[in-house]
This record gives sequence, structure tokens and C-alpha cells, in this order.
Amino acid sequence: MRDDPAVISLVTRARDGDQAAWNEIVDRYASLVWAICRRYQLNRSDTDDVAQTVWLLLVEQLGRLRQPAALPGWIATTTARECLRVLRTASRHDHAELPADGQLSPGQSTPLTEQEILAAELNAAVRAAFFQLPERCRELLSLLISDPPMSYEQISDKLSVKIGSIGPQRARCLDRMRRSPALAAFTEPERAQIRGGWDA
Amino acid sequence: MPDMWDDDQLLALLQDAMRESREVPPSFTEAGRNAFAWRGIDAELAQLTYDSELDQAAAAGVRAEAASIRALTFTSPHLTIELEVGENALLGQLVPTGEGTIEVLTQAGVTALIPVDEVGCFPVSPIPASPFRLRCRSAAGPSVMTGWITL
Repeated sequence: MRDDPAVISLVTRARDGDQAAWNEIVDRYASLVWAICRRYQLNRSDTDDVAQTVWLLLVEQLGRLRQPAALPGWIATTTARECLRVLRTASRHDHAELPADGQLSPGQSTPLTEQEILAAELNAAVRAAFFQLPERCRELLSLLISDPPMSYEQISDKLSVKIGSIGPQRARCLDRMRRSPALAAFTEPERAQIRGGWDA
Repeated sequence: MPDMWDDDQLLALLQDAMRESREVPPSFTEAGRNAFAWRGIDAELAQLTYDSELDQAAAAGVRAEAASIRALTFTSPHLTIELEVGENALLGQLVPTGEGTIEVLTQAGVTALIPVDEVGCFPVSPIPASPFRLRCRSAAGPSVMTGWITL
């Protein structure tokens, strides 16, 4: 298992009281928490509660994390667990309190599958890999995924590069991203072990 | 297991991931950053050792009734804090009994101070709407703080 050194460093610094490192952890993984809450279809207020619990637990656990590199897995499973708890509590309460539009349909409190949680983690890892790229790559890739899509000609104008070099640059940047340590956990078979190490 | 993504797949993944992160409101991230203020609070931690709700959920097929009273127990080496969740208030009991002060803490800080009576009882009213924890201060022993509670 190749650990993502960036995550290990962030956890170590946050553990030692570095607020900037903590902010970076939150910036990196807030959308992971958000996405999992969305999948459970929690409303905004429940989403805020879940997130608060997750971050506060993490603040407390920072000193005890045995495998800092597995942080995203911990955040994902903890978020999913808290979402389930919120949904269970809501289903116990008076039905009059439930939203009239039937937001809480049956089956919704079914736990997300391991695969869905991994998909959310993968998104976080992809973003992390992207932000580790040199600025030039980030600019190019951002234009390549812009919505509505831009033609190579438009991109060429915008970045002042020859059209012919966009293709090769695209390939180089994506290759660099693919080899990022942030994504290593998703391309290696030992992944299951990391998660086990954290849950213990 | 995606052994390796080709360029188009990787670009599509990136597009999804960036779209997902654009949906996150800045206030949501900001709240997470603020949680760091909780680092290193000095108190003995009381772990959740019993939750009637989880107990009921564990019994297969038994659906918790709205009327049942939820009970929680937090245990630390020096103190046990029992909570019963009523309609509009929590009723707390310290074991062993003893006077002291209960602080209700939310992410915003201490939001209430509640005296504990001579038989170790204390009411928490209203029930905090956001996640909270209780810190018990007494002359008899160290401060004890529960884990985060969401009701």
C-alpha cells in the first residue's frame, strides 16, 4: 500500500495543533461528507448535524489514528453511520414531524453499499489528485471539462498554446494525475486492509 | 476494481468530482473548520455505554415505539451519567450522586449551566436542537465530559 503522504502530513500537523492543516483536511473532505448525506437524502439541517458530529469526532480522534492515510475511509464510514442514526431517529418520532412531501420513503435508511461509499471516496481522491497537479495542468483540465464543452480551438486561444500541443499536454497531465499518490489506494488491491485497520 | 482508467474515463471522473464539490455551500465547510476549536478540551471522556434506541434496533423486526422513553448511559472511570429523553426535557442522573454543575456544550460553546441537586439529578430543558455534549464539574473529582449526543 502506498500511502498518500499529503494526508499523513495533514493529519500529523493537525494533531500537533495546526489549524491550517485542519482547514485543508476539511476543505478536502467536506464534499465527501456532503455527498454521502445527499445520497441518504438528508435535509440541510440534518446534513449540518451529521457533519458536525463527524468533524468533532475527528478532532477528538486525531491523536489516535493508527493509519492517517486511511482518513477518507474513516470519514466516509463515520458519515454513513451518522446518517443512518439520524434517519432512524427521525422514523421513531411522530409522523406529523416528517416532511409532507414524503422525504423519508421506505428503504431510504438502507445502508449505502461499500461500493457507494468507495465511489464517494474516489471522488474526494480524484479532487485531491487534481489539486496536486501543476497549475498549468489544472488550467487545461478545467477547460477540458468545462460545461458547456470548449473546443480545442477555444482552449488554444484561452491558454495561448498551439492546438496541436493540447492533445499531448492533456495526455501528460492525465497521466500525472493517474499516478498521484492520492489515487494509489484505488488502484491497488490492498485497499480493503486499510479500511479494516481504521475500523478496529 | 478500476485497474487503471484511460484518459477519457479519468477526465469523466474528474468532471463528476468537481461538479460534486461545487454543490457544497461555503458555510458547510466553514462549520467544519470551526470544529478545530474543540481540540484538547481537558476532561475525562465518558463513553456511550448504553442507548435504548440502538438496543431496540438490534432486536430484529422490533420497531421502536414513539412512546418509549429513550435512555442513554455515559460511563467514565469516575462517574456514570444517565439520561432519559422526555418530551421537552432531558432528565439526568449522576452515579455516584453528588452536587455539581452540568454544562451544556454545543459547537457554539457552553450554552447552559445547570445545577445538580443533592441526589445527583439535573434537568436539561429545552433539549438542545444541535449536537451537544455535557460536561460535569464537581468538587469531588475530575471534570467528566460525554461524547457528542444527537437527539
